[in-house]
Amino acid sequence: MSLVAAAAPAGPRAAGFARRIGVRLATLLAVAFAWEGLVLLLGIRPFYLPRLSAVLAAILATPGAYASGFLRTLTETLIGFVAGGAFGVAVAVAFLRLRTLREMVFPLFVVSQTIPVIAFGALVVLWFGNTLMAKAVIAFYLTFFPVTVNALIGLEAVDPRQIALMRSFGASPRQILLRLQLPSALPQTFVALRLAASLSLVGAIVGEWFGDTTGLGVLLLQAMYTENVVAIWAALLVSAFLGTGFYAAVAFVERRLVFWGAEQ
Amino acid sequence: MPSHPDHLAGVWHIRCRDPPIAAGAQACQRRPSLYKNPKGRLLRAMVRDQDDAPTAVPEPEPLIELRGVAKTFGPVKALSGLSARVGRGEFVTVVGPSGCGKSTLFNIVAGLEEPDPGGALRFEGKSCHAAELLGRVSFMPQRDLLLPWRNVIDNATLALEIEGRPRKAARAEALRMLPEFGLAGFEAQYPHQLSGGMRQRVALMRTFLFERDLMLLDEPFGALDALTRTLMQRWLLDVWQRHRRTILFITHDVDEAIFLGDRVLVMTARPGAVKLEQRIDLPRPRRPDLVTAPDFIRLKRTLLEAIEEESLKSFQTAEERTR
Ligand SMILES: Nc1ncnc2c1ncn2[C@@H]1O[C@H](COP(=O)(O)OP(=O)(O)OP(=O)(O)O)[C@@H](O)[C@H]1O
Ligand SMILES: [Mg+2]
Repeated sequence: MSLVAAAAPAGPRAAGFARRIGVRLATLLAVAFAWEGLVLLLGIRPFYLPRLSAVLAAILATPGAYASGFLRTLTETLIGFVAGGAFGVAVAVAFLRLRTLREMVFPLFVVSQTIPVIAFGALVVLWFGNTLMAKAVIAFYLTFFPVTVNALIGLEAVDPRQIALMRSFGASPRQILLRLQLPSALPQTFVALRLAASLSLVGAIVGEWFGDTTGLGVLLLQAMYTENVVAIWAALLVSAFLGTGFYAAVAFVERRLVFWGAEQ
Repeated sequence: MPSHPDHLAGVWHIRCRDPPIAAGAQACQRRPSLYKNPKGRLLRAMVRDQDDAPTAVPEPEPLIELRGVAKTFGPVKALSGLSARVGRGEFVTVVGPSGCGKSTLFNIVAGLEEPDPGGALRFEGKSCHAAELLGRVSFMPQRDLLLPWRNVIDNATLALEIEGRPRKAARAEALRMLPEFGLAGFEAQYPHQLSGGMRQRVALMRTFLFERDLMLLDEPFGALDALTRTLMQRWLLDVWQRHRRTILFITHDVDEAIFLGDRVLVMTARPGAVKLEQRIDLPRPRRPDLVTAPDFIRLKRTLLEAIEEESLKSFQTAEERTR
């Protein structure tokens, strides 16, 4: 799409970006020191909160397990996120074009979203077995709906005069969709995609709880059963790293694509 | 795509018939792309038109003609019994009180709105539905409607892209046009980085690049300050003289209407119709000091009287409704 070609102008933006990264790193370091210091200072028992250094040491003791868990969960999350995002936008376009379809299917979607993800997860595992796909499907399930809703809001908010102008140029519905409606809906769609970035990770981890051998959810579950507090914190830390990293990546792409801001 | 030499000759003949010879001939040479009309409809119509050309036409054969056109939006009667004709190569300006249906008229001529049944709409001598005009008229709406994610060049070439013109060729053509529109060096800027006047010129450039015989400009200079506005008017006349398009131009400014137009149409208060059609026989090229000439003042008085009468009417109806 032409959007990619129209990449954002850099320059002063890059300086601001570097500054933001610097501030964030400093905050992170401060939190790390506070964690370590407070646990030592207040004498908090490791059962409630182990020292950060102990948690990091646990990760470094078996880096392979955490790395493979990280990769596995990342893969599930990504597949679910991409599929959910694409499906969500496609459904929004279909709803925009076909009013009756929307009236028929939209209520079903709402009902599907009221089913607790745990109940749905059990079903998915029955259907797909203990595969990577099963987890991706759960991530997908949590992802597509917010994307559909927001993309639809964005698509419907397109200025009708803008559509009229395109039509006066003789544009086909497809050209109007690609050159006007989808780009216009991008800011609103990204609101949902950022949300979906977190939700898809939740979906993947919950999916792993239904049984698997690798993944961050599995590490978490194992640590819980063995009451290994340090391992719980280690799995948590790696999950948080994955979650924020993914969210930051989505936000980064958003800043690149939606560089014009909410004009008008 | 039909492009026999003799077809072309027919088109050339028609195209170069009425405008002043030197400028017109140049315009014909500069714009071969006109013959690449998507459906070839334009071309055929023009050729036929040459075959049975009437022997004695009092004025240039109308490019577009409306007869008894009406348009209602629910309870609102926007237009009623509107008749107008615009000759090929003519510059016709339209003035009228706010809300009298000027933009509605443009939407019909651009093919965006179908008029109520009963009226007649003719384009290039053939009766047609408004929808058939989609893609055949180059339309500039009241607001610039630039796409915020496209830079100046990509906004200007939007219509060409939709026509299916190769991107590279379209960009090259737009780049060549930039200086003429006072946008040289701004090709990579985005709309939010431009002033109001520049945005308007980008929108105008987009309209000019979409080469159609009929151009509709809806208050293109409405948002500009007085000085920029007069500069843009002179510039537009200059560009029009070189490109020789037929222009229908809406404005609220009587001076602008007289200064630019071959004819001024004054519209009535809603429901809109043509109240007065004033020929402007001021010589061209028109110079800036024309606005103080006695002839100009005389025309202005006539027009202002007509407009005031109508404005008062629409004001009164508005008052009655609020009561
Ligand atoms: N799509 C529409 N639906 C309903 N009413 C409409 C529509 N378009 C125009 N109207 C009504 O038709 C009337 C004429 O509107 P129009 O925009 O043509 O006026 P105008 O002469 O261009 O006004 P202005 O000078 O303020 O631009 C107005 O009363 C307007 O409310
Ligand atoms: Mg208007």
